[in-house]
Amino acid sequence: MAIEITRAGKNALILETPVMPAAGTFGFGDVYRDLINFEKLGALVTNPVSYEPRNAAHGVRVVRLDSGVLLHTGLPNLGINKVLRKYRNLWGMLPLPIIVHLIATTPDHVRKSAARLDEEEGVDALELGLNDDISLDDAADMIHAATSRSEKPVMVRLPTTDTMRLAKIAIEEGASTLVACATPRGTARDPLTGKMISGRIYGPIMKPMILRIVAQLAEKYPEIPIIGSGGIHSPQDARDFISAGAKAVQVDTLTWIQPHLLEHIARDLGGWIVTRENGALPDEWHPSMGDTEKKRKADTGYDEDALLDELRR
Amino acid sequence: MKQSEAIIERVRRINPAYQHLELAVDDNLNRIKPGQSLLVKMRGDWHPYLREQWHPVSVAGTKLLIERPANEHYEVGQVMDVLGLIGQPIRFRRNLRNVLLMAYDTAPTPLLMTIPWLMGNRVSVTMVLLGSAKSYDTQHLNPEVEVIQGEDDINWQNQVMTVGWADQVLVVVNTDDELARFKKIVTRFEERRAIIPQNYLFGVFTGILPCGIGACHACMLQTRQSWSLVCTDGPAFDLTQLTLD
Repeated sequence: MAIEITRAGKNALILETPVMPAAGTFGFGDVYRDLINFEKLGALVTNPVSYEPRNAAHGVRVVRLDSGVLLHTGLPNLGINKVLRKYRNLWGMLPLPIIVHLIATTPDHVRKSAARLDEEEGVDALELGLNDDISLDDAADMIHAATSRSEKPVMVRLPTTDTMRLAKIAIEEGASTLVACATPRGTARDPLTGKMISGRIYGPIMKPMILRIVAQLAEKYPEIPIIGSGGIHSPQDARDFISAGAKAVQVDTLTWIQPHLLEHIARDLGGWIVTRENGALPDEWHPSMGDTEKKRKADTGYDEDALLDELRR
Repeated sequence: MKQSEAIIERVRRINPAYQHLELAVDDNLNRIKPGQSLLVKMRGDWHPYLREQWHPVSVAGTKLLIERPANEHYEVGQVMDVLGLIGQPIRFRRNLRNVLLMAYDTAPTPLLMTIPWLMGNRVSVTMVLLGSAKSYDTQHLNPEVEVIQGEDDINWQNQVMTVGWADQVLVVVNTDDELARFKKIVTRFEERRAIIPQNYLFGVFTGILPCGIGACHACMLQTRQSWSLVCTDGPAFDLTQLTLD
């Protein structure tokens, strides 16, 4: 089942299945190898990367919410040069397209990062993450900086604020895909310190808000593919996004809570024929039913464990 | 790392504040070493959303003994979804003779699994309870563990002797501000020992781990060289190698 998730053009991106992990939830392809069969995913969206290295946020970073979580990590990363040096060999070996999520810091940094990523064979697309409070002019500058320097598809991840106008600007500046959305920001009191912490909110409750945005975008801008991202916690949630007009979906924090469900959703939407235990219902699937583990070890022609050990050093 | 199921086979209240759960687990989880933990979730519910970090206090065959607060309700036969093993085993120095375990304003539960291992290797163990950790009932611990009740803040009787006598120190603190609390511990040890050697004073980090696998980077610590993740490189870190400011 092949799905084109970019606008028609020289460098279209076609996925085998319309499900991928969201930025910030799946690492750089170096984790989850024991839990999830990467061949069943449509693509891998990396953790956010910036042109220059960033440190982790000070203080409280995680606040538990009722049926959700608030996160304030500060988007730590080694900076684009070190990230590419560290992971390019691994990305070249992974059996799925790699989409690098780039933090939109300044137009100059975005321009330089896009140029670097354009040179990397193992990178298939760029996802540009816009800040929540970005102005329309700044957004235009950032997106132009990316699309002007990259032949590869530039996907633009929109915030939940001013989404429609930012979407229009993204289309005008040459974005190949709209990713709706970065989950909204909120504030919660940390029960341990008593401090009010601001960060992004994740959980099933996000789905109705973002589903509405996806439907609005799909209706208003039918010319550009949309990827729905936010609150997906079951195959039905993912199918709801597709019904609303999304071409593909991104699964965020569900991967941390129930890693197997990411593969389950990918198989379900990917139309894979699943191996069923005798007596199991047609829509049931569990990793122990199939040959996920066996196939991963048999098919690779390289020593994955050695490569991962090297990355950890 | 595996995702598997575990069944609670026994629930036993050990004192008014804590209970022990006997958890029947998958074979690979029986290889759990001191310092490692599990991320556990009750099936079929999004509340609580994140997995809870469970620290076994001992291993008996195919079962793990887990210590949990008594106000949490568990039933025999309850099936839990388990992700593990989380973290790396605590690295003990060679030729250990004496280990000091410290709990500062928190229960010493994450350190308890070291006790049978250390005692089995003929290492003597002293446990210092500081702040609100003093209310932790130690009746169920091995009677050979010397328990010292702390005095005000980070003080206890014969502190200089205890600090000098220990070959290795493991500290667990309240997670409200681990870095600040560990810094206080380091400062106190610097006052008692002119030089803190490497691989001597270890902080055991027990803050919330959203993913447990190194994906979210919410547990990142700044080290002198670079950075490390509590979930994959920890939970025990040499405090002299961390940037605690």
